[in-house]
Amino acid sequence: MKVAPTLEGGLKISVESAVDWMVLRCIPHDARGGDLDLADHLSSQMTGKDGEDDWREFVLPDLRDNFNAQISTIEDALDSFSEELEEGEIFIEKEQADFWYGGINQARIALEERYDFSSEDPIEMPPGLRSAWFRSQFYLHVQSLLLEHVMR
Amino acid sequence: MGGTLTETRDDVALDVPWNVIVHDDPVNLMGYVTFVLMKIFGYSESKAAAMMMEVHQRGQSIVWSGAREKAEFYVQQLQSHQLKTSMEKAE
Repeated sequence: MKVAPTLEGGLKISVESAVDWMVLRCIPHDARGGDLDLADHLSSQMTGKDGEDDWREFVLPDLRDNFNAQISTIEDALDSFSEELEEGEIFIEKEQADFWYGGINQARIALEERYDFSSEDPIEMPPGLRSAWFRSQFYLHVQSLLLEHVMR
Repeated sequence: MGGTLTETRDDVALDVPWNVIVHDDPVNLMGYVTFVLMKIFGYSESKAAAMMMEVHQRGQSIVWSGAREKAEFYVQQLQSHQLKTSMEKAE
């Protein structure tokens, strides 16, 4: 898989194998995985504060809708390709970059919550955990490219 | 012509400002936090980067202070960008 900026100000992901597709399809899978309610997690410091109930009632549903839309953007882009394809190109246009960045960020947050990579040396990780760590590193790389070349 | 002299007095109570606080987390990129602070508050890159470093080094940073309604708006904006954020009355 190759990920590179385009002349139009977007990002192109060149998919070269079935494994590449699998890794990309892990983004929404990881983002939706686990029991983490991201909106609730981000608002956790508001707990016990004045207005907490209103925040939960009025703000959190909007945040959840926003976060779901980010993951759906990625799912829709991936679903437009047949699962039997070996190769393909995904273009992330500037207008979609926030959604992609946010969806990938959700995947990284969910993985970090589930595995807490900070306390582990990747060399000593068991295979499943190391696989999750590599996915997290790949997501981080795509985010860095989006931030550096597309969003700014 | 007779009249009643009335005196009006405005009861002015100064609102206590509210602080918007961004908390550290292990996932968000430092460059992204800086980018979001610039985007939402219109801060210069150097000001936003200084606040980001305070979040990173001290665990949190007050990124804005002012009226409660606007503070709520900013907290919502920051949380929609997946930054862990809270607000509290300034001391």
